[in-house]
Amino acid sequence: MNNPHHLNPTSLKSRFTTRFLRALTKIRAQKPISSSSPTEIFRRYRRIKAAADKSMAYSVRSRRIWSRAMLWKLRSRSYRRQDPCSGRRSGKTNQAIMKKSSNENTTTRREDGVGFVEEADELRQLVPGGETMNLCNLLDETAHYIKCLTTQVQVMKKIADFYSF
Amino acid sequence: MDIGEKDKYELGKRDEHNNINYQAPVLSSDWQFGGANLTSAGMSLVPTTNPLAIGSSCASASLVDSFGSSLWEHPSNSQNMGFCDFSVQNGANSSNAMEVGKGLPNSLRSSIDRPFDMGWNAASAMLKGGIFLPNTTGILAQSLSQLPADSAFIERAARFSSFNGGNFSDMVNPFGVPEPMGLYARGVGLMQGPDDIFAVNGMKSVSVMESQKSKLDATEATRDAGLRVENRAKASPLENERKSESLMQPNEEAKQGTGGSGNESDEAEISSRDGGQDEPSALDGTGGEPSAKGLSSKKRKKSIQDAEIDRAKGGQTSTKTAKDSPENQQKQSMMINKTTGKQGSPASHPPKEEYIHVRARRGQATNSHSLAERVRREKISERMKFLQDLVPGCSKVTGKAVMLDEIINYVQSLQRQVEFLSMKLATVNPRLDFSIEALLAKDIIQSRAGPSSTLGFSPDLSMGYPPLHPSQPGLVQAPLPVIGNSSDVIHKALSSQLTSMTGGLKEPNQHSNAWEDELHNVVQMN
Repeated sequence: MNNPHHLNPTSLKSRFTTRFLRALTKIRAQKPISSSSPTEIFRRYRRIKAAADKSMAYSVRSRRIWSRAMLWKLRSRSYRRQDPCSGRRSGKTNQAIMKKSSNENTTTRREDGVGFVEEADELRQLVPGGETMNLCNLLDETAHYIKCLTTQVQVMKKIADFYSF
Repeated sequence: MDIGEKDKYELGKRDEHNNINYQAPVLSSDWQFGGANLTSAGMSLVPTTNPLAIGSSCASASLVDSFGSSLWEHPSNSQNMGFCDFSVQNGANSSNAMEVGKGLPNSLRSSIDRPFDMGWNAASAMLKGGIFLPNTTGILAQSLSQLPADSAFIERAARFSSFNGGNFSDMVNPFGVPEPMGLYARGVGLMQGPDDIFAVNGMKSVSVMESQKSKLDATEATRDAGLRVENRAKASPLENERKSESLMQPNEEAKQGTGGSGNESDEAEISSRDGGQDEPSALDGTGGEPSAKGLSSKKRKKSIQDAEIDRAKGGQTSTKTAKDSPENQQKQSMMINKTTGKQGSPASHPPKEEYIHVRARRGQATNSHSLAERVRREKISERMKFLQDLVPGCSKVTGKAVMLDEIINYVQSLQRQVEFLSMKLATVNPRLDFSIEALLAKDIIQSRAGPSSTLGFSPDLSMGYPPLHPSQPGLVQAPLPVIGNSSDVIHKALSSQLTSMTGGLKEPNQHSNAWEDELHNVVQMN
């Protein structure tokens, strides 16, 4: 059932793959992997991880709450690195937005009538942007997030396999 | 299932759907999509009788998966937002004839947020090509409102509606309330009569539904006309029911939709399904009136009562078992069985414009809070069921708390895997030319979820999700095979992977061959 001929160019997988590979090459081009010091490796690891998350979030665009939250987080992080003032600015505005939405969704702290507050909170911490979602939306976002994560893992595994040979 | 494979199916089937009528599997079997996809579940929800239902029988389960995957992968395509687009279109069309209330944007918003939710999205997306519907029906409805009522016309309109039923997303209120219909007076000039039949159509918006209700009340006789087309329409409302259910409607409604054991029950369901009937309903209404006169009012009442009974019974049963996902299927069948020949006093529900219309079940409190809570609880259980299929190894788990824990563990393990893989990529030495990236990208996209990790460490992700222990620094020192021995390495790695992998690999040989070929090319290039 392998159909290499039917390639969906706009699938989530392909979008993520192209973006991630591009970012990967950029990271690799920046510093040759001659230095294998742990700090270097760690730094590169962080950058690669951020690139992976960013590519995934961009592939999903802003259609999902979690992707929007993740994009915002990444952007604010990069802003903070470049310019602390800008980071604070964007952080403030975003915090205001988040607070406002969380105030509107005060039901997130409520039991929601199903009694899964603890697990729901834990899930909210895992899924980016989950703090501002009620349980219903949270489950939706979780499902989509799981799907994207599995895609991400698949692609990265293939890349890692390819390169480690 | 491989996404690429799904793509192929999706591409292949897309053309088919335009012309073919699908048979949908029985509703109760839908929830078992065995971790394949939501879409398959959504698809399977379509009732068998619906000619347009996007059938995902066992044979076409892969097709469904392809729909689901295509649905996932075409996110804001007009196709993927299939049902959302349809509802928008429908809303646009219907708004010409009738005012579309704020309910439409509300439902749209929520529905847009869940494009992946159910397979019908893919179904609607699939059928989009073949079905000219939303615009056609809208125009048709408007023009037809002028036409004289005609029984044959009603049938045609019903056929159209059933046609459309497959495509329209559902902002449907499955509880189209027959009796209180009269209370809902919205200025929808077109709609007359039996919106039941048109409930079949996917074109449902809450506001439209209200107008429908008023029409329904006014021309109950037309509902009888629906009997004629009930078989055709049954699938649509059922399908719509599914959509609406997944979107925002409580489960019972869908169950009612899936039942339809008898004519009356079908009609009752259709009438209850109602919700935002568009012009097609109007067509039916106008056409049905004269022909419906011949039908006895007794049938009408019985159908209304049946609808109420269904809802009441379904509500009761569903509330009891709301938390047990495996019981939902039984509930559906129970609902179906109870639809005929029951008497009951429907719980009246004050008209709420622009909101999800929920009907209080028999014996249930009609407090708006409890109703809303019930709706919400059902939504949540719906989603939990879906997640259960998504997370591997969750089917045996019963109980929401445990399942939530499983889901949390799964998400954590996936995130840890991403971290681990990025660490691995950070340490890997790209000996190969970067021009390989294009080849690699293509191969990655094409190949399925095949061989996982390499030699030194193999967290076998297919076997559930064993959390990756934080021994990554140790793994960093794993020896990276020299490219000279690449072929041997490949062989060893692939064989080890194949032996360790479960489930995912159906044709590992092809994978290994593909990898080997590519690596050989790479080596030659270097």
